[in-house]
Amino acid sequence: MARTEILPGTLYLLILKTLESGPRHGYGIAERIQELSDDVLTVEEGSLYPALQRMLIRGWVVGEWRQSENNRRARYYRLTASGRKQLGAELSEFQKVMAAITRVIQTA
Amino acid sequence: MERLRELWRRLMFVLRRGKFQQDLQEELQFHLEMKARALHEAGMEPAEAGAAAQRHFGNTLLLREASREAWGWNTLETVVQDVRYGLRQLHRSRGFTLVAVLTLALGIGANTAVFTLVDAVLLKSLPVSDPHQLYSLGADDNCCEMTGLQGNFTIYSYPLYQELQERNPEFSQLAAFQAGAMPVAVRRSRGAEAAQPYRGEFVSGNYFQMFGLSAYAGRLLTPADDRTGAPPVVVMSYRVWQQRYGADPGVIGSTLVINSKVFTLAGVAPPGFFGDRLTDDPPDFWLPLGSEPVLNSLDSILRRPGEFWLYITGRLKPGVALAPLQARLTVELQQWLRTLPKLDEGDRKDISQQKIILTPGGAGVTELRDQYASGLRLLTVLAGLVLLIACANLANLLLAKGRASSVQMAARIALGATRARLMRQMLTESLLLAVVGGAAGVAVAFLAARMILVVAFRGTQYVPIAATPSLPVLAFAFALSILTGVLFGVAPAWISSRSQPAEALHGATRSTRDRSALPQKSLVVLQAALSLVLLAGAGLLTRSLLNLQSQQFGFQTRGRYIVRLDPSLAGYSLERLPGLYRELRTRLGAIPGVLSVSYSGYSPMRGDNWSSDISLYGQPRPDYSKVVAPSWMRVSPHYFDTIGTRLLRGRVINDQDTPSSTRVAVVNETFARRFFPKQDPIGKRFGIGESDHSRDFEIVGIVEDTKYQDARGPAYAMFFLPFLQKVPRADQSVQDAIDSSNYLQDIELLVSGYPPNLESQVRRALDEIDANLTVLSMTSFDEQVARNFNQDRLLARLAGLFGFLALALASIGLYGVTAYNVVRRTNEIGIRMALGADRQNVLGMVLRGALGQAGVGLALGIPIVVAGGRALSSQLFGVKGYDPEVLVAAVVTLGVCAAVAALVPARRAASIDPIQALRAE
Repeated sequence: MARTEILPGTLYLLILKTLESGPRHGYGIAERIQELSDDVLTVEEGSLYPALQRMLIRGWVVGEWRQSENNRRARYYRLTASGRKQLGAELSEFQKVMAAITRVIQTA
Repeated sequence: MERLRELWRRLMFVLRRGKFQQDLQEELQFHLEMKARALHEAGMEPAEAGAAAQRHFGNTLLLREASREAWGWNTLETVVQDVRYGLRQLHRSRGFTLVAVLTLALGIGANTAVFTLVDAVLLKSLPVSDPHQLYSLGADDNCCEMTGLQGNFTIYSYPLYQELQERNPEFSQLAAFQAGAMPVAVRRSRGAEAAQPYRGEFVSGNYFQMFGLSAYAGRLLTPADDRTGAPPVVVMSYRVWQQRYGADPGVIGSTLVINSKVFTLAGVAPPGFFGDRLTDDPPDFWLPLGSEPVLNSLDSILRRPGEFWLYITGRLKPGVALAPLQARLTVELQQWLRTLPKLDEGDRKDISQQKIILTPGGAGVTELRDQYASGLRLLTVLAGLVLLIACANLANLLLAKGRASSVQMAARIALGATRARLMRQMLTESLLLAVVGGAAGVAVAFLAARMILVVAFRGTQYVPIAATPSLPVLAFAFALSILTGVLFGVAPAWISSRSQPAEALHGATRSTRDRSALPQKSLVVLQAALSLVLLAGAGLLTRSLLNLQSQQFGFQTRGRYIVRLDPSLAGYSLERLPGLYRELRTRLGAIPGVLSVSYSGYSPMRGDNWSSDISLYGQPRPDYSKVVAPSWMRVSPHYFDTIGTRLLRGRVINDQDTPSSTRVAVVNETFARRFFPKQDPIGKRFGIGESDHSRDFEIVGIVEDTKYQDARGPAYAMFFLPFLQKVPRADQSVQDAIDSSNYLQDIELLVSGYPPNLESQVRRALDEIDANLTVLSMTSFDEQVARNFNQDRLLARLAGLFGFLALALASIGLYGVTAYNVVRRTNEIGIRMALGADRQNVLGMVLRGALGQAGVGLALGIPIVVAGGRALSSQLFGVKGYDPEVLVAAVVTLGVCAAVAALVPARRAASIDPIQALRAE
C-alpha cells in the first residue's frame, strides 16, 4: 500500500490541530491523523517523535505522564496557549499558500 | 521572552539527560505495544504482530538520536563523548601516552622557550606609558662617545640637545640620556661601609616625565634638578633599593657618596622599569645631566658642543605629522652645525649631508635586540625543525595504532558511524595529547628559558628578561599545541577512516599492499632529512665556536686575571696617580703567587675601545674617510709580558719611560703596515690630532697584532703610550680628554699555579692602599674572553641538543616503523622462508627497506643542509657553510644510528619460525 508523504512543513499543523480537541499520547496522535484523513496520511514514527520534541522545546505543547486507556503509563501532550497561537498562525499561512496554488492550477 | 524560556528548557534538558532517555524509551515502548495490539486485533498472530510493529518502527536508535538532536546540544555532547573516550584510550595505552607526551613536551617546550625570549627581546615595548608615542632622533647605533659628523645623526651633545628641545614644541617632552652606561661607586655617607660598584646613567631632568612614570617612593627627577647649581640628586632603581638596601624607606632623602661626591637620594623608580633599553646590567642609578660637571670634574663634557654622547627620545603630541617635523629637525641640525667652532673644511662641506631621522622609540634602544636578533631567528628555525620531527614521529605512532584498531573502526562504520564522526574522534584524541603535551611543554619552556638566559648572559649581574611565560607566550603555546595536534592527527585520522569495513573485518593482514605504508615511509624520510639538517647545523656551529675560542688572539690567557678598578671613582686627582700606581705594583706584586703586575686603560676582549685621529710626521695626514683611525691606550711597564703579547722588534714600555723622559709609543703590526707601509716604523714619529702634533711620539717598538674588541674581524691598528707622559696642547678640552686617559681601568695579574684566596688577597691589598678604591670586578682572563662568545656558545649547545633530540626521535621513528612492518609482514616472511629464503636474505630485505628510507631522507637533506649552510655563513667563523667534513660526519652519524635502529627488528625478522609465521593471522 503506497503511502502518501506528509507535506513538509505541515506536520506541526496536523499535530497541533489534532491536539486542539484535547490531550493525546504519541500513538494517539498518529492514529487520529490517519483516521481523520481516511488513511491517506500516515505519520512515520521517525518524524513524529522528533517533531514532538521540537514542539516541546518551543513550548507549544507540554508533556504529562498519565495512565492510558489500557492502564499503561504514557506521555500525553497538551496544547498550551502559545501552541494555540501557533496553530492559528500555521493555519492561516497554510490557507494562504493553498489558495495561491489553487489559483495557479486553475488559471493554467 | 519566548527565547529565554526556550533556552531555559534546553538547559534543563542538559541537567536531566538521564531521565529524558528513560522517558523517551518508555514512550517508544508504549507506542510499539499499541501498534502490535492494533495489528493483533486486525488478525495477526501476537508474535508476528510484534515483529511487524518493530519493523514498521524502523531504527529505534536513530529515532532516539534524532529526538535528542532536537534539543541542540548534539555537538557539545559528542565532543564531550569524544574527549572522555579519548582520555580512556590514552589511559589504557600508558606507555604510548607517556612517550607521546614527552616528545610533545620537548618539541612544544623548546619552541615556547625560544618564543619567550623572542617576545622579551624582539617584540616587547618598554614598560612605560604609551610607548607608541615615543620617537627617537636617529636609530641608536653609535655608541658611546664621539666627535665628528655622523651623517645619519644618532648621538648628540648637550648644547645641541638644548637647542633642539627649545625649537620643537611638537614634542610634549624631549629627553636626552647617556648613550653608554658608566660604573659608579656608591656608599652611604654615614657609616663605614666601603663603596660598592653599580651602574649609573646620566639623564635629562624630564627623562621620567617623558616616560610617564611616577616614583614608587620619594620623587623622580624633574627639570629643576638639571639646572646649573641645583643640589645634586639621584634616583635609585627599585631592584637595587629592594635587594641591596633592604627596601629601607629611611634611605630616601639621605645622602649617598657617589664617586666621592655627595648626592641626595630623591626617590625610587617604579618596579619593573629598567631604563631606556633592554640590556644586561641595566642602570642602578639615574643622575641628572646637570650633575655631570660635578661627577666628572676632571673632564666634564656637558658644555662641549662638539662632544656627542647623548641619545635623544621624545614623546610626540598626538596628531603631529612625522615627515615635516623630521625635515625641520634636519634643517635645525645643519644650522647648528655651522655654528660649531672647530669644524675643518672637509667637515664643513659635509654639513648638508647631515640629517636626523625619526624612528619609533617605544621599544627602547635596540643594541641588545640587534645583537641577539639573528641568533634568536636561528633558534626559532631549529626549534621548529625539532617540533616537525616530533610531529612526524607521533603521526607514525598514531598511524600504527590506527591500523591496529582497524577492526574496531570497521565495526563502528558498519554500525552507522559516519567517516566524519570517526575522524573527529581521532582528531580529538590527537588534540587531547597535544594539549597535555603543551601543558607539560610550558613547564619545560620555563626551565629551558631560564637555562638559556643563564648561558646567554653569563657574567652579568642581572638581565631584565623574565623567564616566566607571559600571556602572549601562553597563548602561543596553546595555539602551537592545537596546531601540532592537528598536524600529526589529521593524516592518521584521514587514513584510518578510509579503511574499508569488509576488508578490515576479514583480516586484511594477508595482503602485502598497505595503503598506510607510503605516508609512514614519507614521514621517516622527512625525519631523516630534518635530523641531518639539525646535526649538520650543530656541527657547523660547534666548529665555529671552537675556531673562535682557539684562534690566535695575540695574547695568552693561562694564569692571567683582570681586576677592574677606576681611581677616579675614589676621587683621585691626576697628581696622586703616580703614588697610587707605585703602591699598586708593590702591594699586588707582593701577593704570593703573583709573577707580574701591570695596568692599562682597558684590557683585551673587555669590550672597550678608544680611537683617535693621528697625524704622521713627514707624511700627509691619513684620509680618515678611507682608513680607520687607530685605537690606542696607555699601558704600564710589563704590560705586554703580563698579557702575553709578543714583542717583534725594538722594545716595550718599561720603567725608563717616566713623565720626564722622551715621549714614546709602541705600535702593533697593523699600525705599522697601515701608516708606515714598506718602512721601518722604529724611530718614526706621530701624534694625536692635527699635524702640529705630529712629532709628539717616537715609535720604539712593534708588538704582534692583538684582538681587543672584535673577535671575528682582524685586529685593529693600535698604539700604546706610557702612563703619565704629557704633551701640552693648546685646546684645553682635548688636553682634559687626553689627561683623563691616565686613569687606569684594568689591572692585569700573571699568576703561577692556583693561589688560594687570590681575590680576597687582592681586595685586601687594594683596601690597604685606600679604602675608597672600589673593585668593580675581578675575573680570570679566560672568563673575560669567554663572555664574548656567550651567544655562539648558546647556539652551539642548543643546536647540539636539538640535533641529539632529532637523532633520537628519528631513530625511534625508524625503529618503530621497521618493527611494525616486520610484524605486518610476518606471514609473507614465513612464505618466503618456506620457499627457500634463508635468514640472511630476510635480514637483508628488511635492512634494505629501512636503510633505503633513511638513504632517501639523507639524499633529500643534503641540498637543504647546503642551502641552510649558506644562510648560516654570516654566523660562522672560520668554517664554510658547506664544510664537507661536517656534512660527512653528520651523514655517517645518521647512517650508523639508522642502521642500529633497523638492525634490531631486522634480526627479529630473521629469527622468525616459518611454521609460526604461516599460522599467524
